[in-house]
Amino acid sequence: MSDPLLRLDDVYKSYGDERVLSGVSFEMETGDVDVVIGPSGSGKSTMLRCVNRLTEIDSGAIYLDGDCVTDADTDVNELRKQVGMVFQDFNLFAHLTALGNVTLGLRKVRGMEKSAAREKGYEHLEQVGLLDQADSYPAELSGGQKQRVGIARALAMDPKLLLFDEPTSALDPELVGEVVDVMRDLAAEGITMLVVSHEMGFARSAASDIVFLDGGEIVEHGPPEQLFENPRADRTREFLGRLRTEHEEG
Amino acid sequence: MGAETQESASAAGGRTVRARAADLTDQPLTALAVAVFWAWLVVRWTNDFLLDGSLAPRGTSFFPTAPIEFAASTLSGVAADLGVFGLPFRWLAGLVGFVAASVPYLPELATGVWVTVLLTVSGIAFGFVIAVPLSIARVYGGTITRSVALAYTELFRGTPLLAQLFVLYFATPLSIYIRELPAVGTGFVPAQAFWVAVVAFTLNSAAYQSEYIRSALNSVPEGQLTAARSIGLSKVEGIRHVVLPQGLRYAIPGWSNELVYLIKYSSLASFITVRELFEQADAIASETYRYTELFVLAGLLYLALVVSASLLMDAVERYVAIPGLGTSGR
Repeated sequence: MSDPLLRLDDVYKSYGDERVLSGVSFEMETGDVDVVIGPSGSGKSTMLRCVNRLTEIDSGAIYLDGDCVTDADTDVNELRKQVGMVFQDFNLFAHLTALGNVTLGLRKVRGMEKSAAREKGYEHLEQVGLLDQADSYPAELSGGQKQRVGIARALAMDPKLLLFDEPTSALDPELVGEVVDVMRDLAAEGITMLVVSHEMGFARSAASDIVFLDGGEIVEHGPPEQLFENPRADRTREFLGRLRTEHEEG
Repeated sequence: MGAETQESASAAGGRTVRARAADLTDQPLTALAVAVFWAWLVVRWTNDFLLDGSLAPRGTSFFPTAPIEFAASTLSGVAADLGVFGLPFRWLAGLVGFVAASVPYLPELATGVWVTVLLTVSGIAFGFVIAVPLSIARVYGGTITRSVALAYTELFRGTPLLAQLFVLYFATPLSIYIRELPAVGTGFVPAQAFWVAVVAFTLNSAAYQSEYIRSALNSVPEGQLTAARSIGLSKVEGIRHVVLPQGLRYAIPGWSNELVYLIKYSSLASFITVRELFEQADAIASETYRYTELFVLAGLLYLALVVSASLLMDAVERYVAIPGLGTSGR
């Protein structure tokens, strides 16, 4: 049997005295779209940032395609070429146009020629529906457009895995849809995605699995229909109940 | 999508031509005055240094003084005729008389301006080359690099520039080394004292510039470097391709201050015998005893240099402006 694309093995992480992840173990296969949900402070973002080592774990191990990426001698830059990341607050390079944002990694990390990088950059901007904004600077884009450029920037590196860290949390409600639509397209194209998000619509329609994280532990892990309709754990049921109430009130 | 891509590409090409004179300044009259000033300087220098005085003999003014003196005396005549009401004319006559008296000194002062410009530009440019790594060390360095950079900055900001000049010129063998270099002090190449001053200004200005750049780097949001690292750039590459292009833009307004300071502080080089503008004015004044005229004139020339520098940096800021980045907000 081949290795899973991503495997977390008993991962622990603390910030000072505060334990954020306590023994997280988790696997996903190529083509999976897994959505991580959980109350704020439950360690969702930390879990994601450990995968591309923006955060270093305390103990345990993380494997990408069978290779342990948490060894001290792993080249983090090599790892990050294979794992793209989309941020909650976009973090677009403020001095570059949309196209410049997408091509910077191609040119400086992949070493592509300027013209080839542009060509590929345009392709990925088209993929997120922003070909006409290629020459706009981040400050000239709406939040939803910024996040779509952020997705194109991550996609351009042809990652094996795309990490989404609450990609719609910083958006005005009316702009969430365009980003979710792009993510749904990517899921349909078979791109492997690990998504921290409370977008229930996306989770129900596009996710292969839902992971419920609480207090730094994976409480429940299963397909969306099972986890949403028949949650096994009380904590999951309680959290989903709270989330629904918020939605209805909102 | 081939054709579409081509179109977008040419649109992007057109956008890079953003420099139009009108976009670079909102003070067209000042810009005109500065242009006239520099045209005069360049013609003067070309005549004196390159053409061997073929337009006007070296040290001789381009402008005849006789008509200006005539204008001054006419104005005094008018003032005398008008009695009490002639006061404004008497002031005007005094001003024109000052111009007439100044014109003969301008050529020699222009030579001083050349040395001042050379000193300032070298000091600021070499200083910048040191200041960028220094500020990066301050912001991103480890404990040791950071303390070394801090110690350097505090040493050069904390001691008088004049003391630094004296130590370098009198207490180190630097000027002897420089004097032995080929070409120093012959033809266009200034003598060793000038180069010692360049070294001092470089070291001193690097300290000040690094402070301006450091605070600008600090104002680049942390997420920018995180995003750079997330696409696989190393820390150094991330700083180079993402943090610096933004930080240096933020630094321009503060950094322009340092340029303005250095233009005026370069007059301290006169203490180690460099014949820059101030020293030149002082030398002429002690021969002619026209101290007021010469120092007012030197002051005006410094003012013209400072206004030029402000205008230039304003234009640079506008030229590299990016929507949503920095103060110009265009």
